[in-house]
Amino acid sequence: MPVKPIFEAVINHVSILDEHGNFDAELGEGLIPNEDVVAMYKHILSCRHFDEIAFKLQRSGRMGTYPENRGQEAASLGAAYALEPNDWMVTCYRENAGLFWRGLPKEKILLHWMGDERGNNLDGLRMTPLAIAIGSQMLHATGLAWASKYKGDDSIACTFFGDGATSEGDFHEAANFAASLSLPVVFVCQNNGWAISTPSSVESAAPTFAQRGLAYGMECIQVDGNDLFAMVKVTRDAAKRAREQQKPTFIEAVTYRLGDHTTADDARRYRDQEELDMWMKRDPIIRLRQWLESRDLWSTEQEEQARADAEKEIAMVVKNAEEIDAPAASEFFDNMFVELTPELKKQRQTMRTSSIGQDPSQVDVKQSEGAIK
Amino acid sequence: MATKQPDDKSYFILPDLGEGVHEAELIKWRVAVGETVQEHQTLAEMETDKALVEVPSPWTGVIQSLNGNEGDIINVGATLVNYDIGGGATSPEDVSMDDAPPDTGCVVGAVDDSMTVPASFARTAPAITENDGQKSLATPAVRKIARELNVDINSVGGTGRGGRVTASDVEAFAHGTKPAAPAPQPAVEATPVQQAPITKSPEQQPEALATRVSVPQEGVMERIPFRGIRRKIAEAMTHSLHTAAHFQVIDEADVTKLNQRRQALSDFVGRKFSLLPFVMSAVTKALKKHPSLNSTVDDFVEEILLHSHVNLGCAVDTENGLMVPVIKNADSLSPVQLAEETARLASGCRDRSIAREELTGGTFTISNVGSHGGMFSTPIINYPEVGILGVGRAKERVLTKDGAFYAGLVLPLSMSCDHRVVDGAEGARFLRTICELLENPEELIPTI
Repeated sequence: MPVKPIFEAVINHVSILDEHGNFDAELGEGLIPNEDVVAMYKHILSCRHFDEIAFKLQRSGRMGTYPENRGQEAASLGAAYALEPNDWMVTCYRENAGLFWRGLPKEKILLHWMGDERGNNLDGLRMTPLAIAIGSQMLHATGLAWASKYKGDDSIACTFFGDGATSEGDFHEAANFAASLSLPVVFVCQNNGWAISTPSSVESAAPTFAQRGLAYGMECIQVDGNDLFAMVKVTRDAAKRAREQQKPTFIEAVTYRLGDHTTADDARRYRDQEELDMWMKRDPIIRLRQWLESRDLWSTEQEEQARADAEKEIAMVVKNAEEIDAPAASEFFDNMFVELTPELKKQRQTMRTSSIGQDPSQVDVKQSEGAIK
Repeated sequence: MATKQPDDKSYFILPDLGEGVHEAELIKWRVAVGETVQEHQTLAEMETDKALVEVPSPWTGVIQSLNGNEGDIINVGATLVNYDIGGGATSPEDVSMDDAPPDTGCVVGAVDDSMTVPASFARTAPAITENDGQKSLATPAVRKIARELNVDINSVGGTGRGGRVTASDVEAFAHGTKPAAPAPQPAVEATPVQQAPITKSPEQQPEALATRVSVPQEGVMERIPFRGIRRKIAEAMTHSLHTAAHFQVIDEADVTKLNQRRQALSDFVGRKFSLLPFVMSAVTKALKKHPSLNSTVDDFVEEILLHSHVNLGCAVDTENGLMVPVIKNADSLSPVQLAEETARLASGCRDRSIAREELTGGTFTISNVGSHGGMFSTPIINYPEVGILGVGRAKERVLTKDGAFYAGLVLPLSMSCDHRVVDGAEGARFLRTICELLENPEELIPTI
């Protein structure tokens, strides 16, 4: 019996606007209306400033842990731009730019990291709360897409996760269900080079993360994640494939986390300065501004104005987040379930959880005198 | 986690700079006293065990003081910077400190009186009645320590800069080693950070008692909140067991002769004495011969403190639980005086009239478990002390001497030592010394 190849695959890399300012007119011209590019550039400036301020809020004790988004704005923004309003955006925690673009009030993110559950109340928005536990959200996206298909509506689910999350079992389950059940999911892997302090080269022996989708029979593509145009292009293609053919796509967006993993991390302890310097030059802000200026769509005055506007806007966002009245303790229960489970109802009544030995089914057991009511 | 800063923006408390970070080294000040700083402007560079970070100002203001020198370790919760808000001295009193005060453990001898009343099981800090006359200057962290020690901060004289009350002032006051009168202004400027070793690090705090285990819920008759004195005892015991390297030595003393003398003394004085004061007396004498046992450990600064006098703790069983009053300078007291002191303190514990100072400052503890039953025990050290003696119940037993039987009274003694400080041989020698003193009681009871 002769040996013959039964499967061959090619992973394409898509770049439209690279870090040197080279623009692929064939793919990129007319892809995004000029006024939208301007709006998205302003949006990134605002998100960048938000990020800097959020970081300082943590450092001065005004907020809890915060994961910087700096450097990765184009990836989630480009993908978010390519989605329809009715599509689901199912993220982890480095997609602020995309979430804000789709209408999430910025103070919600601050409230979330300040420990206020109202930050997770996303009524009316087709997005899910930040998934902090690595990988859980990919399953939710698959589930949401399955629901869309079942109900026959044409919404899709676009989920975001890091390179490290592709090593979680959740990814493989979500990917296999999405592909084998033919569900409208777009998997956007933000490969920022580091799973906290583990470099990609240690995480995986494969040359790309994109090829992880191959094993499940998905379309796979790698894209420059700091290239807004390329992100819009590949996500739009993937969204179309999902909507029209009910097929999932795996997008590996190659980007870089310019900041620390979170405020509890110090990336200088494990990353070389040269690597950081190289990626600073690939910052999406630099190339977008260049592109806009080369087309006379942007001026120094506009830049100054946009930065000043961002400062004003974010100062107001911080004020709103800090001055909101403290939530009632019972609100703790309000944002997870539409209808509380019987156990949670009892917990809400007693403000006790079973984790300290207070089984809600025994709420009527006699309390000793002086017990906390 | 986010830190509650003062509403009047008069000072800035060092927040947790990471996740669970409790201290940071001050690397470099980036501002100077008198300088106007903007919100988000970097105040200092600090290094935690996780990261080198820049600490920004949470608001715009004028720097009044920078509390710490480069190279100092600053605890989370300490006041890093004071801002000039006009009106002179900053008064952090309007700061709400009652949001979840950490249930810091204390040694059994330092149980907050207010924590022992069952009706007030709620985990709130004891209310402090302020003197109307004069209010002390102190950082919130020092005020917190004062609350924990149940000390009225306005009664404490301050030795810090500008007459500020420091953590050590409060502690000295609580231990009764400091006069209440306002202290004179020191000529020398002390380093504020050294004055304020503020919050306890997690290592110092007792282990959380709640691990998630399956608790049987069948037939529960009553639920008692694990709070108050019971909780304090639990935390102190757990902390001691997790910190001190306990080892036990047990021995028996033939107290036949001592018992005869005790009875003679009782008859002579016209009052009944138990064996306990004589055991206490023997312990104080043995401690003089073995000074390493009369020590305490300051794990925070990694020091062993040898004490010149014996402050003898004596475990007292009360209806609310264990309390450990301390007989100060027990080495200067006779057995009769020790008996009187013990009776006075025990009754103070039981009717809750005992003074705060009489529950702190012990250097060695005796647990008279024998009065309730049992023979030997494995007592838990009253940390930060390094030794505890469990006295069993004396029983008449058949003994032998020079090949002949005789009936004698035998006192079982169980001792626990902190092996980090006291080696086994020294512990055994110490216990042997006690036994010998009890067996040859001439030194303990004068011949009548």
